[in-house]
Amino acid sequence: MHIPDGFLGWTWPIFWIIAIVAVGYSLKWARENLDERNIPLLAVLAAGIFAIQAMNIPIPWGTSGHMVGAALIAILFVSPWAAVLVLSIVLILQGLIFGDGGMTALGANIVNMGIIGGFVGFYSYKTLKGVGRIPAIFIAGWASIFIAAIACALEMAIAGTFPLTEGLLFMGLYHAVIGIIEGIITVVVILGIERVRPDLVPEWVRGKKKEVTG
Amino acid sequence: MNTRNRNFILGGLAVALIIAILAPFLASSNPDGLESTAESLEVPESEAAFQSPLPDYAIPGMEENPLGGVVSLILGTILVLLVALGLAKLLSKKNGNGQP
Repeated sequence: MHIPDGFLGWTWPIFWIIAIVAVGYSLKWARENLDERNIPLLAVLAAGIFAIQAMNIPIPWGTSGHMVGAALIAILFVSPWAAVLVLSIVLILQGLIFGDGGMTALGANIVNMGIIGGFVGFYSYKTLKGVGRIPAIFIAGWASIFIAAIACALEMAIAGTFPLTEGLLFMGLYHAVIGIIEGIITVVVILGIERVRPDLVPEWVRGKKKEVTG
Repeated sequence: MNTRNRNFILGGLAVALIIAILAPFLASSNPDGLESTAESLEVPESEAAFQSPLPDYAIPGMEENPLGGVVSLILGTILVLLVALGLAKLLSKKNGNGQP
């Protein structure tokens, strides 16, 4: 979903401003919440998200998609700002070094994948965790990328790059399928981390412990 | 940093590097959702406003060689880890919670 240069027309500075403000808040979150215990998790997940974003999985219609990872970070760090921070690091390096996502479009890419992905993932999980953590994590992952894609289609329509209806239709359809990949990997990674380092998994996502009897 | 955290970072980095090494061979080269939409709607491809050193995860001059992608992704993965680690440590120290 990395927007290239040129697709945003005159609108790109607006997204840069929103992104800079949000990155400021994410740095504030980091100052208040990062410590010796959770920094390794943040760094490892950032590296893993960078790598997995290169692993495009084929979907129908000759298209492909990859995980974004914002819901994963927001759930594991119990904050959408954590997702803004990690996705911003990943997107800045992808744009600067690998030309993945345009530099003028960096703001919009942070808005879509970091801010919208992180907030949708966080609040979806918060709302749904009562139904069971695994379906809630899956849906949070799915919704994070689907809603980000809808936002991207709207941005493309405002810039006059895509017609509104067709843009929404194609972006929505493709990302509804890519969202399944996002949902599954988000669940698998959280369960995997819980297995090796249960102390790094926050209370609101931890599985119920077997009751000790006797 | 204690041994447990160091091992977690090394283990996590190993997993990320395995993905990075496999991606150039396994990843689909089909256009992604946004590119596909642009193609369907006949939106022309655009020029990058900034020339990145390793465009599209390829080493200039060896674009067809998947090893260029492997090298790019390994470099990128390690760089992201170091930047995230460095930035997080810097920020957390300001708050005085850098100590265990």
